[in-house]
Amino acid sequence: MTASEPAIAKPAAVAPSDGPVLDPITSEVLRNAFVTAVDLMAEQLLRTSHSFVIHARDFSGALSDANGDTVAQGSQDVAVQVGTLHFSAKAVLDAFPGDICDGDVFVLNDPYAGGTHFNDVRVLRPIFDDGVLIAMAQSNGHWADVGGSAPGSFDTTAVEHFGEGLRITPVRVWHRGRYLADVARLIASNTRAPEDAEGDLLSQAEATRVCEREVLRLTAKYGREAVLAAFEESQAYVERVVRRRVGALPDGYWEAEDYIDVDPNQGDGLVPIRVGMHIAGDAIRYDLSGSHPAIGSFLNSAFGGTFSAIVAGTKTFFPDVPLNSGFYRPLLVDFGPPGTVVNASWPTAVTGFYAGPYEKIVSAIFQIWSEIVPQRAISTSFNLEYLLLGGRDVRRGRQGRFMYYDWMAGGWGGRNGKDGSNATASIFGVGHAIQSIEMQERSSPVLTGRCELRTDSAGPGEFRGGLGLVKEVTLTDGDGVVLSYCSDRARSVITGTGGGLPSCPHGLSINPRSAGARYLGALASRLTIVPGDSLERPSAGGGGFGDPLCRDPERVLADVVDDYVSVDRARKDYGVVVRNDPEDPDSFQVDDVGTAAERRRLRGHRVDALHADPAAVAEMYVNGELDEFDLVRQFGVILDWGSGRLLVRTTEQFRDIFQRRCVRFWPA
Amino acid sequence: MGQRVAVDVGGTFTDVCVVGGDDGLVVAKVPTTEHAVEGVLHGLGEADVDLGRVEFFSHGTTAATNALLNRRFPKAALVTTHGFRDVLEIGRGTKSDLWDAYADVAPPYIARRDRLVVTERIDGMGRVITPLDVREAEAVIETLRRREVETVAVCFLNSYVNPAHEQEMERLIRAALPHVVVSVSSTVLPEIQEHERFSTTVVNALLSPLVKQYTTGLEYELGRAGYRGRLQLLHGGGGLMSSQTAERYAGRLASSGVAAGAIAGKHIALACGFENSIGLDIGGTSADISIVFDGESRIVRNWHVDYGHPICFPSLEVLTIGAGGGSLAWVDDGGALRVGPQSAGANPGPACYGLGGTSATTTDAQLVLGRIGTSLAGGTRILDPDAAARAVGLVAAELGCSTEEAAVGIVRVTSANMADALRIMSVRRGHDPREFALVAFGGAGPLHAVELARELGIPEIVVPPHPGTTSALGCLLVDTRHDLSTMFIRGVDSADPFEVESAFLELEASSRDSLVDDHVAPERMSLQRFVEMRYRGQYRSLSIPVDGPVRGLDGLTAKFHTQHHREFGFSQPEAEVELYQLSVSALGVIDKPEVRPGSWGSPPLTPATHRRVRSVETGSWIDTPVFDRTDLFPGARIDGPALVSQSDSTTLLPPGAGAVVDDMLNLRVTPRQEVSAR
Repeated sequence: MTASEPAIAKPAAVAPSDGPVLDPITSEVLRNAFVTAVDLMAEQLLRTSHSFVIHARDFSGALSDANGDTVAQGSQDVAVQVGTLHFSAKAVLDAFPGDICDGDVFVLNDPYAGGTHFNDVRVLRPIFDDGVLIAMAQSNGHWADVGGSAPGSFDTTAVEHFGEGLRITPVRVWHRGRYLADVARLIASNTRAPEDAEGDLLSQAEATRVCEREVLRLTAKYGREAVLAAFEESQAYVERVVRRRVGALPDGYWEAEDYIDVDPNQGDGLVPIRVGMHIAGDAIRYDLSGSHPAIGSFLNSAFGGTFSAIVAGTKTFFPDVPLNSGFYRPLLVDFGPPGTVVNASWPTAVTGFYAGPYEKIVSAIFQIWSEIVPQRAISTSFNLEYLLLGGRDVRRGRQGRFMYYDWMAGGWGGRNGKDGSNATASIFGVGHAIQSIEMQERSSPVLTGRCELRTDSAGPGEFRGGLGLVKEVTLTDGDGVVLSYCSDRARSVITGTGGGLPSCPHGLSINPRSAGARYLGALASRLTIVPGDSLERPSAGGGGFGDPLCRDPERVLADVVDDYVSVDRARKDYGVVVRNDPEDPDSFQVDDVGTAAERRRLRGHRVDALHADPAAVAEMYVNGELDEFDLVRQFGVILDWGSGRLLVRTTEQFRDIFQRRCVRFWPA
Repeated sequence: MGQRVAVDVGGTFTDVCVVGGDDGLVVAKVPTTEHAVEGVLHGLGEADVDLGRVEFFSHGTTAATNALLNRRFPKAALVTTHGFRDVLEIGRGTKSDLWDAYADVAPPYIARRDRLVVTERIDGMGRVITPLDVREAEAVIETLRRREVETVAVCFLNSYVNPAHEQEMERLIRAALPHVVVSVSSTVLPEIQEHERFSTTVVNALLSPLVKQYTTGLEYELGRAGYRGRLQLLHGGGGLMSSQTAERYAGRLASSGVAAGAIAGKHIALACGFENSIGLDIGGTSADISIVFDGESRIVRNWHVDYGHPICFPSLEVLTIGAGGGSLAWVDDGGALRVGPQSAGANPGPACYGLGGTSATTTDAQLVLGRIGTSLAGGTRILDPDAAARAVGLVAAELGCSTEEAAVGIVRVTSANMADALRIMSVRRGHDPREFALVAFGGAGPLHAVELARELGIPEIVVPPHPGTTSALGCLLVDTRHDLSTMFIRGVDSADPFEVESAFLELEASSRDSLVDDHVAPERMSLQRFVEMRYRGQYRSLSIPVDGPVRGLDGLTAKFHTQHHREFGFSQPEAEVELYQLSVSALGVIDKPEVRPGSWGSPPLTPATHRRVRSVETGSWIDTPVFDRTDLFPGARIDGPALVSQSDSTTLLPPGAGAVVDDMLNLRVTPRQEVSAR
């Protein structure tokens, strides 16, 4: 671990053995009261924040003890930040040894000190009880902009952080209760919306005061010693539960991979993210050594984001265990040497860590744990994606600027005995709510033409993935508008599990189905668009689970009636023939004889299709004889979807994954 | 004051409460019938109500809640903007359980096949981008006709700022299909945010035909029996509305049943001097938990029966779990004993009802353990102990234990589920239950209260005189109430005060119309204006009361800064402030009855009988005196082990617990004997 122990003298942290013995009710009241203190902080932040990103719950909060270890996290915190808040608390303790005063407030956003990316600005308030530092309250929120070369501070082409945004190493913004307006102004002035930045700073700082108030209420009522004992007991409790459960599992070693689309330094070829996991006794050791070098886009992760992925991935298989530093104690992580895609160091660009390594590490951990706990197995889920537009809002006169910052829900993986969830927030954070279109249309000159479930987007399987969406927007009254699109998995398409099929590629299109149509793929930055331009993009469905030819035809029929699956793809993906009487548009039925024959035919030739000449397949795509669903599901061929250019190396890798995750589970 | 009657129809029982007569408070409890009206009339008969003498009839019902829980709806459809048919299903993309990848959001109330689209579009400023395509609208109407749809929700994007297209669609549907009920989002909840508005409107649409059919039937029967007044219905916001209003705002009845209990619980606690209280209302199918802190209940603007499908009418906050007397016991795949959330309901009900139920319920277990007697609801229902033992025996066989042990297990699992729910409402919010009083009511609340209080460390319990009919009393303790609002998003610098004033006048006129519809006399109307304000860029707002006509906005802006500072610890006097929403709370003030206790007994207090009761804490059988509640008198004292039996409930005092009767005939129970009764 890169973060070091805090340099200040350890305050009176009392271990349960030498402190007052907490009765079970007090212990439970306090443990819950700590979470409540953080949740109340969140509630106030929601009510006062300026960033719509924060309002959509891209934030987290923590109460840490005087060592910086997390005692309680907010119960609705976004997953991507969960494993990083203790690093920030320790970074402040490290930076100001012996120089932390009652009434101080600190700010930082440094990904190289265990943070996530520059937009995630952490505001920390030390909590003093009668002059003794006993705790820290932390509010971490995603600011809509922290400067850099692209609106929203997402420059997908950045290779060093200087273009990404303002790096804030730990700095004091209140001292003994006095607001250091000069420092705050320096920070706010380096963003595109200084008033909002300062508004969020104030909002977060005051939210931490709510947490402070609650903690001091508890010390006044139960005594400092009891509260300090409960800080430790809260962590020890979580550690005990995790160790007991891990100890009950067999020892062993597992590994799994997932892939980033491309390293621009290399060209055609998927970038593997490989996760190894040992269980030995009651501890888990994750191994990320041997990872790919940092890549030539902003899809790198520093150790904080990587650790968060490991925590979030693992936590999914311990859904009922509370989250605090006690959860981290049984997790040992070997990040490998600095300079890799999962352990990037200064000044490598890391803002896209969430769409790159983060999702892939979580996905690999899901694969590993699905094997260990098959009753909670889940196939691959869609990858977070963001569309950002920034420029002048002509509706609001000369000074009106807008920031349109949009992310979609998508499909989660099929499960053991259950279809995947439709249109669910990404693994990045299930609490990360998508925005109201009506709110967006008031705040930005961007009109949404369509936002709905995308028919056929779910990865087919005996238990199919969840459906993704398709969203199309048009710029109306804007001027000088610049676009960024930040995603992944245009090439590393969501795959199935245990014989299930892939879903569909990501990618942004400008003015689709018109003469000026352009395909931008999963990453684009600093591209100017003009009023009338429309932008369309899908969010992927989840991967299928199990052989789609084993899916109950009645379930396929129900999906056709709801238009989740088209009649055409019911036949191609599931071998189910559905008929509709033209006289009665509501009548759909399964043709049993046709279905039996079609399933027989598919079983006979589907493996061969995955060996078809990729160049010939690509040509059929260009000629309009095949579509992207056919290519990824039936032929395992990956193209540059705009030009139709075959990606030879990527296709080889994708077909190899297809064999391992799918074909080998099909009956011979 | 003449007689005032409240009837509360629950899933299992129908409760009647009469005040203002010569006998003080009169109550009755009868089984809920499939056609609820029959049960209501039966209950009125039991309470000897002469409807000709009744001046006020107030009604709470769980009919709407149960329809949502069981998803028993009329054939329904949604008509929406082309390109947005999945707003209901996409929602916000979030889940209630962030970490459990196997926990799903419930499917939308209207399946995708019944979500129909029409080409039309209005933008966020209210400008028409694409006119309503009338031919498509007609094709949609044809589909509605073909599918024999009974109720339709019309929900178009941005209708909160310009309702023209929704209104046009409504006209077309009404003209072609006059018998179809239409709910229009810009009328039901004229607020920005499509998912919340659509979802609320869909709930309204699903409930409208049910509510209309129900109130029409009930009013007819009440009229035949001589009632000359209006039928008043309790809505989830803790106010009343007339049956005519209820047809249009059927969604507001979704939390009617639970609101009644929360209101009554608060009233009782405050009367006993408790500013902090937890209301525990356990009926046949569910347990409803409400909390009052510093004398105030919480109002929520976004609640749900199923997560992901919000209902955004202002509502009293109540947590409902599927744990009641009728909750079914079962053994899961892992061999663990589970209770609920499925319920045997009123029919067939628990096995001991002898109505054909064979599955064990919590009530069956209580009977096996001797915790309840063989007569319920004042003898209108005689329980069969053999049937109960047979049903519990089936569970015991699966578990491989004795019938009595299985019964103990069922009661303990039920209690544990309830304790978890109490924790969510108290401990999880940072409230220490040791500072609260527990008001236990509903037929089964007093049966579990002491065990739950011990588990959470709650020091005092109040069991009201008529626990089983306490909810109904809540219907008599409120005013007629309407909450109207309109979006008004404008910076304070650019907003015209006259425009604000005229928007308020319009809202007030609509509010008065609604109160007139509810037959409220002008001198009883009380209207309060509020303006929602925020700093530009903020996403939530503060509600600022507005007194008197709006002539300028400086005063309100100053109030906003002050209130922001008071609530959140900071304000930004330099920052731009905007108006967000204008609203009016309209009350029709109703005289509250004085609730006088009925008759009571006299000393000496002697048990009516004795019964063997098996302790769920120690597992031993204890010979327990059974007192009749009507024999109690102010100052009477009972020590556990004891049972207090009455027609609508049983209070269990295990060994160590004690109770005294106060002047209002409440039982003031101390869970542990060593802490002496106050």
